[in-house]
Formats: sequence, C-alpha cells, structure tokens
Amino acid sequence: MKVSLSAQHIVKRYSGVVALADGNLNVESGQVVALLGANGSGKSTLSKIITGVVAPNEGQLLLDGRPVTFASPQAAKKAGITAVYQELSLIPDMTVAENIWLAHEPLQFGVRINRREMRRRTDALLDLFSGAFHTLDADALVADLPPDEKQIVEILKAFSLKPRVMILDEATASLDSRQVDRLFNLIQQWKAENLAIVFVSHRMEEIFRVADRATVLRNGITVGDVAISETNERELVNLMIEASATPRRHERTVAADAPVRLSVRGLRTQALKGIDLEVRDGELLGIGGLQGQGQSELLLALFGAIPWTGEVTLSGEPVHFRHPRAAMEKDVAFVPGDRASEGLLYIRSILENLLLPSWQRYGIPLQLDRGRQDATRIADDLGLVRPSMDAPVSALSGGNAQKVVIGKWLLRNPKLLLLNDPTKGVDVGAKAEFYNLLNDLRQAGTAILFYSSDDVELLELCDRVLVLHDGKVSAELSGSDLNRANLVAASMGSGHMNHEPA
Amino acid sequence: MNLLRLQRYANRNSYLFALLLLVVVLAINYSLQPSLFELRVLNGNLRNWFPLMLLAAGQTIVIIGGGIDLSAGAMVSMVNALLVGSLLTAESTPDEVLLGALIACGAGMLVGAINGFCVAYLRLQPIVTTYATSFIYAGVALYVLPRPGGAIPADLARTYRSTPLDIPFVVYLIVLLILFWLALRATRFGQYLFATGGQPNAAYASGVPVNFVRFLTYVLSGLFAALAAIALTISVSTGNPRIGDKMTLDSIVAVVVGGTRPNGGQGGIIGTVMGIVILGTIRNIISFANVPTWSQTLVDALIIIAALTGPGLIRLIRRRFQ
Repeated sequence: MKVSLSAQHIVKRYSGVVALADGNLNVESGQVVALLGANGSGKSTLSKIITGVVAPNEGQLLLDGRPVTFASPQAAKKAGITAVYQELSLIPDMTVAENIWLAHEPLQFGVRINRREMRRRTDALLDLFSGAFHTLDADALVADLPPDEKQIVEILKAFSLKPRVMILDEATASLDSRQVDRLFNLIQQWKAENLAIVFVSHRMEEIFRVADRATVLRNGITVGDVAISETNERELVNLMIEASATPRRHERTVAADAPVRLSVRGLRTQALKGIDLEVRDGELLGIGGLQGQGQSELLLALFGAIPWTGEVTLSGEPVHFRHPRAAMEKDVAFVPGDRASEGLLYIRSILENLLLPSWQRYGIPLQLDRGRQDATRIADDLGLVRPSMDAPVSALSGGNAQKVVIGKWLLRNPKLLLLNDPTKGVDVGAKAEFYNLLNDLRQAGTAILFYSSDDVELLELCDRVLVLHDGKVSAELSGSDLNRANLVAASMGSGHMNHEPA
Repeated sequence: MNLLRLQRYANRNSYLFALLLLVVVLAINYSLQPSLFELRVLNGNLRNWFPLMLLAAGQTIVIIGGGIDLSAGAMVSMVNALLVGSLLTAESTPDEVLLGALIACGAGMLVGAINGFCVAYLRLQPIVTTYATSFIYAGVALYVLPRPGGAIPADLARTYRSTPLDIPFVVYLIVLLILFWLALRATRFGQYLFATGGQPNAAYASGVPVNFVRFLTYVLSGLFAALAAIALTISVSTGNPRIGDKMTLDSIVAVVVGGTRPNGGQGGIIGTVMGIVILGTIRNIISFANVPTWSQTLVDALIIIAALTGPGLIRLIRRRFQ
C-alpha cells in the first residue's frame, strides 16, 4: 500500500526559543529522504514531531493527504510511523526476542506468549543481518551486546512493527561498514516494498549512497529540497550554512613562545579513537563537530572523570588523572554542560555553590569570613546580579546561574579550563558577558579548551578549532581556514571545501 | 556453548545464589536438628512460613515492577482483623467462610488499589506513600478489632494442618503459587512487568502501559496480603490487630535474599519462596544453636548484605574469568 507523509510549515517553540520556524518535509513510498542540517537547525525536533514524541505549536502533518495529529509515540506507531533513535529504547535485562516483540508479542489462545513463534520471527529478522554480527541471537540478553548489535536490535524492533514510514535517526552511528552495507541493502529492499524512509545522518558519504532526495534545514527553516542525483556535497553544505555567514572574526594571536600548558597524544576512550592536541597558555582552543562525536568524553577524560589511555602532559609533566580530585589539584577546572544536574546545587545558596570546590582552602581551619569575602569578590568580578549571597541559586536567571557554575572554579585560579558546551540555553546578553569573561581569562594566561555545539560561537571566539567526527579529529582549522563552510564540511566527515587539506 | 547457556540461565534466574544459600542453611539446620525432614517437623515449619511466603510473593511483584510496598504487613493486620472481628465466628458455615474469604480478598485489592493509584497515577514516591497508607490500614485494623481475640471454625485449621498423600497440605499451596507465577510470566503482563521495572522510559517508548502495570502490581500485592492474612488467621485461629506489623520487613528481606533485584526489573517468586525458607531456617538455627534471640536482627542484617553482594560477586568473578 502506498503512503505519503508531509509535514507543512511546522513551528515549535520551547519556552520562547524557536526550535523550528518553518519545517517542511515530504516523503512517500519507495523513497529515502535525507534530513540534513547543522547543530541546532531543528532536524531532531522535526523528526520528533513526525513520530509524535513532541507536539508542534503550528503547522500540520498530512498522512496520505489527510491531516493527522499524534498525541503520543503510540498514536504515530498505530498510523504506521516508527523511528529508530540513537538513545536506545531497549530493556537491558530482557532478551533480544523479548525486546523486539515488547508490547506486540505473538500470543497463543489470546493470553499466553508464544515463545516459539516469537523466536522464529526473531530469527527471521536476524537473518536480515546474518553474517554481520557476532554474538547476537534471539536469547541473548541485550545488556551483554556490544553497541553495534544493540543498534541492529533497535532497527529490527522498529521494522517488526511493519511500519509504513520509518525514521532512521543517526541509526548508522555505531555500525561498522559491513553492517552499514547490509542496512543499505535492506533499505533498497524496503523501498521496493513501498516503505517510506527518512534518513538522518551526519555522514555525507552515506547520504549520497542511500538517499533519493535531501531536505536541508537551517535555523529551523527548511531551505532546500533537492534530488541527490542533481546535487553535490558542496551544494548541500552551502545550503546548510547561511550565504552571508562569515561572522567577523577578531584576529587574535597567541605568542608562539607561550608555554604549552596541555599536550595530548593518542588519547583513547570508548568513544575516542586517538586524539592529539596541544593548548598553550592564553589560548582558547575550540572543539567542534556535530553533537555526540566524543567532545564531552574528551573533556571528561582530561578531567579524570572517565577512564582513558594515551599520553597527557600538563606543563611538560606527564599526568594520568584517575579522579577529578587529582585534576583539581593540578589546577584543572571543568565546567559541565548540564547546569541543572552537574553544575549546581539549585536549592543551596550562591555562597555555598561558589565555595563548594574550595573548602580545602577555607575548611581547615574554618574561615567562613574569608570564604565569603573571596566569593563576593568573584561574584562582583563576574557581574553576578543577585538578591544576596545567601539566596538560592534557583532564584537566579539562566545566565547568572551559569556565572555561578564558572565562578566556583575561578575561585581556585585554574590554569587549564575545560568547558563543556557552557552556553547551551543561555540568553544572548549573558552569552556576550560570558565571552568577555573568557577573553579576560585568556589575557590572564589561562589555557582554555572549549567545546561548543554552536558553530558561530567557535568562529567568533577561538584561535583554532578541532573538529571531531566519530571520535577522531577530522580537521584542525585556524586562520583563514577557520570558516563556516569548512567547519560544517568537517563535521559531516568530509574534507576542506575551500582549501586543500593542510 | 554449554557454558553460554548456563550463563544465560544464571542471568535469567537470579535465584541461583539463593539456592546455594538454601542448601547451606538446610545442611546446618539438619546437623543441629536431625528431625528436620520428618513430616511433622516439615509440616510445622512450612505452615509457619506460608503466610509470609504469600505476602512476600506480592512484594516480589511490586519490587520487580520498580516499586516497594511498606504497607504489606498493615494490610495483613487489617484483613486478619476484618476476618475475625466482623466476618467470621467459630460457628460460621462453609458458605460464610467462602464469602468472608472473598470479601477479605476484595478488601486487600481495594487498599492495594489505593496504594497503586497514589504511586502510579499521582506519581507519589512509593516508600513514603506506602509507609503513610500503612498507618491508615493499621488504624482500620484497630477500629475493627480493638483487642486480640475471636475465633474461626476449627475445621479450617484441621485442613490446613493435614497431610494428604503424606505431603503437607501447604506444599500443594506452594506448588499452586509457583504455577501462578509461571503462568503470569507467560503472559504479556509478565513481559510488561519486567520491562516497566527494568527501564520505564524505554518500556513507555515501546508502547507498554507503564502506569497501569505499576498500578496492578500494588493491587496484586494487596490481594496477596489478603491471602497471607487468610492463611495466617487459619494458622493461629484467632485475631490480633497488630499481627502483621513485623511482616513487612521480613517480606522485603525474603524478596532480596531470593535474588530479586531491589531496583526492579529482575527476579521472581520462585526465588522468594526460597528466600522465605532460608529466613525461616536461619531462625530455626538461631533457636537451636542457643544464640541469644537479640542477635537475630544482626543475623538478618548480615544475610541481607550477603544476599545483596552475592549475585554481584558472581557477576564480578564471571567477568574476571572471561
């Protein structure tokens, strides 16, 4: 049966912030439409709206030409629309078969689960990927599977619902090349069976292999819908970035003789596949790329919060932090991305939050007055707008709360500052103040490693930007190479657009 | 390949550690009390343990579903008080007994539904909620039966103590309980239960009615509390409005000792049945070994700790040797 799905002029606002301003997407039976866009362009919001996870504020969805609204993911599933997400929807302590058939188990006499039938159907599904996995079988516990095989289970689970429209959201991210080949063969087969597929991927190469059309989002607006056979990588990248988008860059140079503060060789974690980098005192090194390419892991590893292998030297001295405390003793500070869960104790006072990492200095013997003086000085330096030092952090605006997150580390005078996407959800005015603060810190000689999911921010602030892709550095951009086109191209895993690779 | 199958079996059947512990404590008990496996002793022990076994079975379902029921014991007190205080007398006819039992089950399910409604739909924290409601149920018990006393037909106790085919009557009931569990596991609700306790968000995204499943676990816990109260009432043949007070903690200990994961998502009633036998046997040992009874609490605590670390240790050792 043929199907067509069309999202028209979709608008989605999250508490005042527009995530999607004019989202449009059309897909029909036998078609693979690639959905592309830079970070924050609204592609995940759009796919969540199509699958009923998020309700739109304006615009409409047409299924087979008729307007529909989905109150929940279940409603979308009933209409034949399913999604394979990156955040897996599997139950670790249940078997592969139980997971695939959860909530639509084959029954006997209407009540008893027909395990034999369930296994038979699971084996039939697994045959689709036969030879492309190692341990996977119907009775394996999902908890025991490696990430790629979990992803395969997730794909098969979505397919087991016999969908008419399937959304593959970064479904290839953890698959190896053989598994990707198999998936693409399946997609060709499913196309022939009238399935409509939306393919969200950050790998350009895959988009050109599998997609028929590409829909490009930029700043929440669908800016292009092109046939893959009539376009090329460069055109797509240009669509993803604004034509006039070459933000004014403030040229800054770091003295070439500034001492190297941090040097990293072959750093590996589960997500990182060998990272080399060097930061000098007073340098602001940007880390870019699409979200989830290992940027946070890099910062966490350097802070000693997750296990890693490789060589790291701090001011020429080899170090291997196994606990954040060890990193803190060497004047390394980490500003987390998620203020609410990692950065602040919301119901406690500003003073307590600021002093939290520094009790070693004020705790023994107890020097509350000096602690309060120092904390107040930092708060004044940061221009922290506050009712009083004893007011709870929850009383502060987002931007001011963010100042507390950073302020608590400034009290320790860090020599190396690790920033994990610190301006997420911070309003524009507060961002500007934050940028000034970063500049002051670099003037004072602090080395800063700055991960941001906001490309414009990286372009405006950084001397150099390392772009991460699949846990590797796909490009190091500086000087005139550091522009939007190169940044986007590198985050999609392709080479430089305007210049030859260095 | 066989090793893999064994490992999977161990993963699915979390009571293997309990089984080991069971063998050990039974052996110790047997060495202190050679008559342990004689029909008379066996029957006496099982009869004493069976009410708690039923209560812990309900607790198991709640815990697998990711919750906990601290009102279990109070529900037992309440149903016991209802049975003795207003539903039955020593002269009740079999029909009246049956009706009384049905009303008791209904009352248990009703108070279980109150717990379930608060936890699943009002999203109240399970520990706090069921602790609070336990006072309501205990209050009802005292209202219905202000002081211990009362009686029920003597025939009931006679049946309960009987040994048809030289097997204690209670053993047939335990077999029924295990069959009930195996049947439940084979239904869709069984899958939903483990999914809800294992990863509620993923379960919701897969179309599992997570709230309704949570609600039902508490209703079932109420039903099992009522059944436990019926068994207990028959066993002691009298009423006491505080009879179940101490049973809540024991039911939780038995569930955990039986290998059910305290956070939910894994475990089963078969393990809980073993957990009850382990607890009861340990108490036997304490009384036979002339250990002061005040140390019983200490031993209980040590057993819980051993039960909590045991399965983890096995997993750790397995990982070492892989």
